[in-house]
Amino acid sequence: MALLYEMAWRFLHALLYVQRALVAWFRVHIWRWKRAVVGLLLPLALGIHKLKKTGATGKRTSRRVRSGADGRTLEKLPLHLGLLITEDEIHFTDVASLVVWCMAVGISYVSVYDNQGVFRRNNSRLMEEILKQQQELLGMDSSKYSVEFLKNGTDKQEHQVLSCQSVVKVFSPEDGRLSIVQAAQQLCRAVEQKEKTLKDINVTVLDSLLRESKNIPDPDLVLKFGPVESTLGFLPWHIRLTEIISLPSHVDVSYDDLFGALQRYATCEQRLGK
Amino acid sequence: MSWIREQKPSFIERLTGNILKAGPMPKHVAFIMDGNRRFAQKAHVQRQEGHSQGFEKLAETLRWCLHLGIHEVTVYAFSIENFKRSKEEVDGLMELARQKFSRLLTEQENLEKHGVCIRVLGDLTLLPADLQQLIAKAVVATKAHNKCFLNVCFAYTSRHEIANAVKEMAWGVEQGLIKPSDVSEVLLGECLYSSNSPNPDLLIRTSGEVRLSDFLLWQTSYSCLVFQSVLWPEYSFWNLCEAVLQYQLSYQSLQKAQALHREGQELQQMEADRSCVAELLQHRGNGKPLDAQSRQKELLKYTAGREERVRCFLNALQHKRDTVFRDLSSQAVVA
Repeated sequence: MALLYEMAWRFLHALLYVQRALVAWFRVHIWRWKRAVVGLLLPLALGIHKLKKTGATGKRTSRRVRSGADGRTLEKLPLHLGLLITEDEIHFTDVASLVVWCMAVGISYVSVYDNQGVFRRNNSRLMEEILKQQQELLGMDSSKYSVEFLKNGTDKQEHQVLSCQSVVKVFSPEDGRLSIVQAAQQLCRAVEQKEKTLKDINVTVLDSLLRESKNIPDPDLVLKFGPVESTLGFLPWHIRLTEIISLPSHVDVSYDDLFGALQRYATCEQRLGK
Repeated sequence: MSWIREQKPSFIERLTGNILKAGPMPKHVAFIMDGNRRFAQKAHVQRQEGHSQGFEKLAETLRWCLHLGIHEVTVYAFSIENFKRSKEEVDGLMELARQKFSRLLTEQENLEKHGVCIRVLGDLTLLPADLQQLIAKAVVATKAHNKCFLNVCFAYTSRHEIANAVKEMAWGVEQGLIKPSDVSEVLLGECLYSSNSPNPDLLIRTSGEVRLSDFLLWQTSYSCLVFQSVLWPEYSFWNLCEAVLQYQLSYQSLQKAQALHREGQELQQMEADRSCVAELLQHRGNGKPLDAQSRQKELLKYTAGREERVRCFLNALQHKRDTVFRDLSSQAVVA
């Protein structure tokens, strides 16, 4: 009997696997079909004979001009958007594109996270990619946008620009529970040295200690990329009211995917307990 | 209506349950039971009725969980933020809680038969005194049961829970039971209200909202999160199966992530112990550097000492908490 159930379970999961694979396949092929149609019809409609760059960047450059205007059409924009990559293989170019689109749409703080610390270890590579994508995607508008990178742990600015419009920050699991533990140790030491009493320890005090080290507001929205349904240790203290929107993958992600998620966020209603 | 449902599952429910159980099953599921008020609006009934139906759905869900072999359930019944609601609604919810906990106390035999242990997590001092006493009685009465566990988060927010855990550790330091350097991720976890439970494997939020709303933020860092659009009073066995299926699909990745995290924790602890030993040796030192073997011996000695300190502290903390509940519950008897 147990064997029968196990077979049924395997069959069920095989079906789900096939369904997921089909959905992913359709996602890629419908996009390619769309691009082909646009690629054919647009130049015909505008009478342009030269086709601009094709390939992976094609869908990104076609969105170049609208970004700023798009941001203004949304009812609300997150002040801080977190990009949570749960996939094992990370494509820096795609992540950089996401960051640049967020900047273009008008999001002030963008953070990037993965639970293996890949972004943290490759901070400079990510920065380079972001600057590259800024040029490529925003083209002649790129001078209007400037990005400030905050290094993890310290607030040394890696890349200083004159007018800051967006702040990009990289997080890893050390910024989550471990930060809370460090704040706890600090408070315990203060109690040991009689600088503080037990009454001085509350949510507000802990929150301001944690805020000090991060220097960034709580994320309003987290976009989770990949099939893993978990926050994987991303800033547990800070995500108390964060909307978590899942997207299938960050690989070959399009601006439309991002904007769709932002539209969904704009319609969320936060009652804050009331 | 009762907390315990005796109803047996239907044939198709049993069949589905057995198929699901061929794969990995969550042992502890947490629910954010959202959507009572929207349900009330939809069904054109009073809000209070919506909350009441929500409780009925809870009892039903507990039965389904037991049939699926899920022996621990944590629910978000009332947030500290919910005190912001109208006095009428808050009073109504407190009255509902009074009724349900009173009812629970009359069902003790049944609870014992099924081995149900009820725990209430939150800052109970924020609740009316009589409700505190009722809750304390229920907790004390079911403390020894160990077949299945229901954790009710009442007057709870995760940030308060974490801040309270930090306060407890500071109390430990004040009492001389532990040192500030003993504070670690593991120890903080043991000081939360939920310290007697493992972390939830699966967190389910109903009504379509996709946020955690200050619920088990620490404990669900590596849990499977499932957001379902169904309103809580309309929750069905099939919705639960869907969530379990989602858990099974994420299982391998989550196991990997949890293992990675545990490894990191152990490394962190070892590093912390090493630096404490180095500091100790420096203070004690007479200039002569120790050889590797002696250093290792000192490290083992230090770790054993730390673990003993922590064990004593946790015992003292548990005793302190048990005393609070016992005192509260005995007050009710006198009254």
